[in-house]
Amino acid sequence: MKRSVVIVAALSVLGCMGWSGAQAQAKLCDKPRQMDGFKTCADVEKAEAEGAFVLYSTDPEQGQVKLLASFNKLFPKIKTNYVRLQAGALYAKLLSERQAKSYLVDVVQISDMGMILDFQKRGGFRQYISPEMAAYKPEFKSTPEGYWTWGSVIMAGIAYNPNNVSAAEAPKTWQDLLDPKWTDAINVKVSNSGLQHGVYYMLKPILGEEYFKKFAAQKPRAFDSYVQQYGRIIDGQDKIIMGAQYSGAIEFKAKGAPIAFVFPETGVPAVPETYGIVADGPHPNASELFMDWFLGVPGQKALGEALLLHSARLDVPAPGGGVELKDMKLLTPADWNAFEKGRPEFAKEWDRAVGARR
Amino acid sequence: MTFISTGVLRPRFNWQALVTLAVLLVVGFLVLLPLTFLVGESFNTGDALAFPPEEYGIGNYLAIFEEDLHVLTNTVAIAVMATAMAIVIGFTLAWILTRTNVKGRATLERLMELPYYMTPLVGALAWGVLTSPKSGFFNQLYQLLGGKGDLFNIYSMFGIAWIMALFEGTVAFVMIAASMKSMDPALEESARVMGAGKLRTALTVTLPLVMPGVLGATLFVFAEMLGSFAAALVIGIPGRIYVITTAIWDSTLSYPPAYGRAAAMGLALFLVMFGMLSFYRWVVRRGSYATITGKAFRPRPMDMGGLSWLLFGVCALYVFLAVVLPIAALLFTSLQRFATVILSQAQFTFANYQAAFSLGPVRTAMVNSLSLGFGVASVGVIVMALIVWIIYRSQLIGRGYVEYLVMFPQAVPRMVFGLALLWAWLNMPIPIYGTLWLLALAYFTVMLPLGVRTLAGVVLQIDKSLEECARVCGAGWGYQMRTITLPLLKPGILAAWLLIFMACVRELGVSVFLMGPNAKVIAPSIVAAWQSSGTELTAAMALIQTFTVIVALVILYRLTRGMTKELT
Amino acid sequence: MSDSVTRIEVSSLKVRYGDAVAVNGVSFTVGRGEHVTLLGPSGCGKTTTLRTIAGLETPSDGSIRIDGQAMYDAAEGKNVPTEQRGVSMVFQSYAVWPHMTVFDNVAYGLRVRKLSKADIAANVERALDLVQMRHLAERGASKLSGGQQQRVALARAIAFSPTVVLFDEPLSNLDAKLRAEMRVELRELQRRLDITSVYVTHDQEEALAISDRVIVMNVGVIEQIGTPEQIYNKPRSRFVADFVGSANLIKGRLTGPDRFEAEGGVVLRAIAPHTPRGDETEVAVRTAYIDLQPRPGDNHVPGIVRQRMFHGDFVQYIIDCACGKLIVRRPPTNLLDEGAAVRVSFSPEHCVLLEG
Repeated sequence: MKRSVVIVAALSVLGCMGWSGAQAQAKLCDKPRQMDGFKTCADVEKAEAEGAFVLYSTDPEQGQVKLLASFNKLFPKIKTNYVRLQAGALYAKLLSERQAKSYLVDVVQISDMGMILDFQKRGGFRQYISPEMAAYKPEFKSTPEGYWTWGSVIMAGIAYNPNNVSAAEAPKTWQDLLDPKWTDAINVKVSNSGLQHGVYYMLKPILGEEYFKKFAAQKPRAFDSYVQQYGRIIDGQDKIIMGAQYSGAIEFKAKGAPIAFVFPETGVPAVPETYGIVADGPHPNASELFMDWFLGVPGQKALGEALLLHSARLDVPAPGGGVELKDMKLLTPADWNAFEKGRPEFAKEWDRAVGARR
Repeated sequence: MTFISTGVLRPRFNWQALVTLAVLLVVGFLVLLPLTFLVGESFNTGDALAFPPEEYGIGNYLAIFEEDLHVLTNTVAIAVMATAMAIVIGFTLAWILTRTNVKGRATLERLMELPYYMTPLVGALAWGVLTSPKSGFFNQLYQLLGGKGDLFNIYSMFGIAWIMALFEGTVAFVMIAASMKSMDPALEESARVMGAGKLRTALTVTLPLVMPGVLGATLFVFAEMLGSFAAALVIGIPGRIYVITTAIWDSTLSYPPAYGRAAAMGLALFLVMFGMLSFYRWVVRRGSYATITGKAFRPRPMDMGGLSWLLFGVCALYVFLAVVLPIAALLFTSLQRFATVILSQAQFTFANYQAAFSLGPVRTAMVNSLSLGFGVASVGVIVMALIVWIIYRSQLIGRGYVEYLVMFPQAVPRMVFGLALLWAWLNMPIPIYGTLWLLALAYFTVMLPLGVRTLAGVVLQIDKSLEECARVCGAGWGYQMRTITLPLLKPGILAAWLLIFMACVRELGVSVFLMGPNAKVIAPSIVAAWQSSGTELTAAMALIQTFTVIVALVILYRLTRGMTKELT
Repeated sequence: MSDSVTRIEVSSLKVRYGDAVAVNGVSFTVGRGEHVTLLGPSGCGKTTTLRTIAGLETPSDGSIRIDGQAMYDAAEGKNVPTEQRGVSMVFQSYAVWPHMTVFDNVAYGLRVRKLSKADIAANVERALDLVQMRHLAERGASKLSGGQQQRVALARAIAFSPTVVLFDEPLSNLDAKLRAEMRVELRELQRRLDITSVYVTHDQEEALAISDRVIVMNVGVIEQIGTPEQIYNKPRSRFVADFVGSANLIKGRLTGPDRFEAEGGVVLRAIAPHTPRGDETEVAVRTAYIDLQPRPGDNHVPGIVRQRMFHGDFVQYIIDCACGKLIVRRPPTNLLDEGAAVRVSFSPEHCVLLEG
């Protein structure tokens, strides 16, 4: 009896080692190929032979199209396709498809770390170590590296239209938003949003338990995309965006719209948009090529131009002349697992606050 | 006098039985299979993503009543309001255009079809632009003229009902007008001869006689309103008003996805709609009110004198509100740099159209939609013609059940059917999920009632003796179908083709669930654009879609007019 | 006249629709080259019977044989489909296909039988010649008048030389004049081509004019079969006497083998086509067989002219007499005035005892 226990224990230890060994087995290739502005370990010829690439992402369609177009310009033989959905919906679709053994997507971006970690646990990511991952701080990528990496950082502040809200009465802190004059004039994102989850998670301990209950009394309206949110303060349907995505402010200001953005003293909650290669994807080589390009300087610059998003790389400047990352007081969750666990409770309270069905 | 010796008749293979069987199997599979998945999923109280479900229970149904009761009441309230308005619109228009001598009736009747092609989605977008609080065009005008606050707020239950009624009004109009047209004018004339005035005649003779038609239309419209999706999506969600269809939509789009709940709600909605439609059928069958005879009467229109200009104005107003105004609003928006109705802030540009046309996905989506429309319509009409023949002309036992089967998808709200199809095909071993083939199958299935109804009308007009004569001349079933039945059905086939084509291009409810990265179609793309891109781009896309449909329509109409002329 | 070869044999035919019985045990034969008419009012089952011969309706019982071969036999469970029976049919609505030319319409049956192009053309031309429609061969069928459509239907029916042609009230949609003309042509054609035909009509004049034999039907059963003269001169039942031609039905009772005492005490000499049972109560006298001048050897009945109506080809008098009202039809000369006294006269040959 004892002997069998020992044997089983030994075997399981070996098994674990083997497993983690297998995990750690994927490593950086010996001779990364230098492309125009970035290094790649992918087999470029095979990637072009595959001829296609599919991205699932939460970013607005127009932006995704621009980003993918930049990639396609470099590799015209690889046709690109995408699906855009808000984080919760995207993840639901991803899981449903995998469960039905329908593998349609190569790379996925989800703006909620909780979902990313969950996907990793389910073995959804394929490990691939890109030579460009060296440029990312360890906290910006998976451990061991190669499963997922931060493609950009999005931060949330307060935004308003200076034509409708004078500088004097404009809110400067998160607490200012509880002022009764902003009742029925604030919009936020839906509970599906990773960014909104981040806002809630980071501000609750700082501003106190009561804050969000009082905020709910302001009757905020929830939308799926920052584009809708900004659109509504431009034409006056709402006055304030709480948890306004900074990239949206840059984008609309560049279009000539009247937008003012506030970075409250307390800090701006920030979450990453995380990218990873999906296991069993239909075009593995193209996926690797894309990741290398995307995580490299040319891809990150293209992202900045397409979506006005801040890169997690230190050597890429802020998009559209916006404030640099290092100049912001970013509030990022330290423990992503706790973040993930808190999601159902956030979703329930948020839905109640915005009057969604549940 | 003798004839040259004539040939011999050989016994033939029973094609009729084989084709019948094949058609029935395919249709049964397409219609019933997804629904069995739906039913199964609605009882899934365990992990939503597990298949087959791990736990069974009625928890989902109970949850509807516990947590989502307000959704049910919203749905019913909006449907009632919308139906009432739609019937009033339909009745008024039908009466004006069939019983009075208002000028330009023929043109107006043609124009009445336009809102159908507009689609409620496009209408909802446009009316949002027109009447959203604070920034809607109308509200701005009102404020300019000194009014305080908002004149209109579209983000209300009434607003949703208004849009639904505006666009469903044409359906009500067509149904009620048909019933009014088939009324024997002698019935009214005898009242007039006995001294009853126009109003008295209208109230005591006309109204009671068309009541069954109006009742039927009411039931039908109500059933459609329950399952309506586009207006509730665009207008309801920002207004925090959920109805069953948007609640189902929402359930599937959250993490973790509540498929069981969505399926339960979908089935509940389906059962109610099914009940309503059965009731409608019963009313229509029962209606032997001696108005609907085989002959088509030409009712004598009433002379309205001075009022006729007012009545013309009423019709014109409807077309204005349903077609002209929305298109104008969208046009205005689509030409702006960023959407605003505050004219002082507006900047104009063509960039949105450039973006819309250059966006690969938009082009692909449009091409996909047109191809699907073409393919499904072309294959669909042949199959549907066979089905119609089986139901109305064959001696097949149980052909009544075939009719039932084929009309089934009408009772299932598109949304719900899309969900059922999603679930069914995700879990089937045949890998067509995420491809255009699945969309094609789905479109074919949901278009069955439309095509069959249109073709049935034509088939019933073909004298049976034309087919019998062919048989007597020695033609087997296949030969007869090819040489006699199908050629005679040509006008009906063309009409059905057109209707199916357009319905495919406008399709939203089923497509939202079944799209994939390589299988995008235009209506859901417009919704996606509305959610994640600006209103300006959405407006541009919506207009592109509408005009493409209208252009296709005009081309096809010209072609078919040429063809049908040959037959008469 | 009927030959030794029987073409069509219908035995104990029954056709039921749910609870309603349309044809209730009908049996008859049609000889080769014969023209037999099924005559009766609407709902009598004549059309249904015709359609079962064609195979367009399925009977519930009985059998149908054509040229000795069973087309339908309830006992054997046999039912040959329409397209294999080789019978032809002319429909009431003509059923001319509007999307084809006249030529294509007529050629249809030939094309089905896969004849050569030359043979088809020859047959079609001959058929069209017979109905004088050859000059319209290329016209679209939807552009024809009613009469022209009727001819095309006829040509189509005979083009492939069928042995049997069925006619379902083919002339009823034509106006009276055209009907009369077509009747003659139809008979001509049938004789010339030696076609065996079964003809259905509710017009008794038509039936009498063109048939070799007439089968009178009523509510699903046969009332009488016979030549037109037999049907007219010796009706068996009240229905036949009343339906075919115009007759006076006089009530009374049989008082001897050829003596009939009518109501009012008038005694008539009559004939009985059947063996009298003794309880017969009616005799029939054709209105055309009653004279206004007494003739020797006839039955004489005195009366007063009640009404006179001028019908053009004949004059109809209503005479009040002891046995009731008598209707008399005479050529329109030597008119009698209303109110005049008269002695009508009819031969015992024309006073027929009805079976009941």
